Amino acid sequence: MPAPKPHITVEDLRIGWGTRVLLEHTTFQVERGTIFAILGGSGCGKSSLLRHLIGLVQPQAGRIDIDGVGDPSRYEGAPPFGVLFQSGALFSSMTLAENLSLPLTTWTRIRGATARELVHAKLDLVGLGAFAEHLPGEISGGMKKRAGIARALMLEADLLFFDEPSAGLDPISAVELDQLILTLSRDLGITVVIVTHELPSIFLVADNCIVLDKVAKGIVARGDPRKLRDESEIPFVHAFFTRSSYGVSTNPGG
Amino acid sequence: MSVALRADREGDHATLVPIGSFDLTHATAVTQEVKKAEASLSGSCSVDVDLGQLDRIDGTGAVLLARLLDRLEADGCRASIVEGNNPEAARLIALYRERRAVLPATETRATGALPRIGALVSQLPRKANNAFDFIGRCAIAVPRAAATPSSVDWRSLPRLVQEIGADALPVTSAANLLVGVIIGLLGISQLGRFGAITYVPDLVVVAHFRELGPLVTAIVVAGRSGAGLASEIATMKVSEEIDALRSMGFDPVRWLVLPRCFALAITVPLLTWVGDVLALVGGLAATVVMTDMTPHAYIQATANAITASHLLTGLIKCPFLALAIGLIACGQGLLTSGGAAAVGARTTTAVVLAIFSTIVISAVFTLFFALMGI
Repeated sequence: MPAPKPHITVEDLRIGWGTRVLLEHTTFQVERGTIFAILGGSGCGKSSLLRHLIGLVQPQAGRIDIDGVGDPSRYEGAPPFGVLFQSGALFSSMTLAENLSLPLTTWTRIRGATARELVHAKLDLVGLGAFAEHLPGEISGGMKKRAGIARALMLEADLLFFDEPSAGLDPISAVELDQLILTLSRDLGITVVIVTHELPSIFLVADNCIVLDKVAKGIVARGDPRKLRDESEIPFVHAFFTRSSYGVSTNPGG
Repeated sequence: MSVALRADREGDHATLVPIGSFDLTHATAVTQEVKKAEASLSGSCSVDVDLGQLDRIDGTGAVLLARLLDRLEADGCRASIVEGNNPEAARLIALYRERRAVLPATETRATGALPRIGALVSQLPRKANNAFDFIGRCAIAVPRAAATPSSVDWRSLPRLVQEIGADALPVTSAANLLVGVIIGLLGISQLGRFGAITYVPDLVVVAHFRELGPLVTAIVVAGRSGAGLASEIATMKVSEEIDALRSMGFDPVRWLVLPRCFALAITVPLLTWVGDVLALVGGLAATVVMTDMTPHAYIQATANAITASHLLTGLIKCPFLALAIGLIACGQGLLTSGGAAAVGARTTTAVVLAIFSTIVISAVFTLFFALMGI
């Protein structure tokens, strides 16, 4: 039996702004149904890589291929993936129910009672069934993120992108969100790509990861994060996973 | 408390003795002392720093001393601290010396008038390119929106018409009424000198219907709704809502810009039309109060003065003025990147550009009508 095709293939990607290169020669694959983490320190290009993966920005060179979409910047119509932005990015003038029904009513013919039922089912799935008529400004940061996940799930995408899901959350909300991500992946078979630097989250949810470094401008390690923590001999990777100091020099040349 | 940095020289060797409080409170005095000491140390081969007489040192004092030692070493002088006397101060200074980042020289910002003008001019092609790119995207969006009406947020249209049109009615009406009064008074004072008061209604009709009505209304709308639309979209941009729209397959131009431009194109002509009527009322009030002309005579003269040409030359500009306001406000909003400050800056730019462009467009139309003899 041939090996299953990876869900995302990235080949020799170079991203940056103008003459400033953030990442180059970046190649990796994300297997279907797994939770894949993109790790690295602040400013290493994690979020920029995510913006390229979801097609908001075109890479300077290289190829991104999402199975069923091809180049994500070229799809027309309903995207076959969902995105949870760092702030949740809910539309502030709409209630949670309206936020969730927006992709549904735009890209499908589902209307009325069925649409309401689907919206409520997704809100129940993320534990926000009682807040359908609330505006985003009336709920907490963790709830906004869960509502963002529910919205990302409305079109039954089998691929979800998360940009720093636990940033700004208390430890309990962060763990709840991680559990939700695990549920989505294990029970719904969704492929999840998470950009984060929260170690507890990484060890709890991620099956596989890549570690980016801004000095190397690319991937410095890849594999199971728990193995990398215990076995990696690369100083930056070891320091990252064990929260230890990795040289205090602020001199970029040294 | 006095601060001093004594430099005791013995041939090529010197000993620096900081005395007093080297801290934030005394930073100015410390800086002067450091400068004096540095001047007196020129030509030394080795410098020892004796911290025994320091009363107090904090980060500021440590930085000033650390940088002095760095400069001395850069000049080829051996600089060292006698640690035994005050180990804590020595550690603090050493810390600031170790943590010094050697960054490549940054480009100095052009501060002179000419370089700044040059920098502004050099940005013009990029800005013009952005503007044409945006107009092009909007032009493409119209047929696509016609093909897939669900890609436009039509549900927001009633709200937009309410906010841009109905809510603006009091202020545009008041502005037009007052402009009518002003034209009336101006006509009375100037035409009255030639005994031509009977032509004041004609002046109000021609000046307001053809030029000032659309212009005044558009300027008020540009200031009011232009700022509102630009800041709304800019806030959506910085809070990732625009990215979220794009990630869900929506085109922000179709979803956000088209309904806003459409709402403006509907409401600005209506506001102008109401404003025209109120300007006539203003002219009437001014003339009746200031002269012997009766209201009946004024209305009669006004009715004779109003022609389809005067009315239409004014109203035909309105959708163009409205589109300019909408495209500039939405375009500036979508170009926003950064935080709250960027929202404010883009809003300001949007209002200034929108007001300026309404004046330019009005002038172009007037020139065109003058050349065509309309």
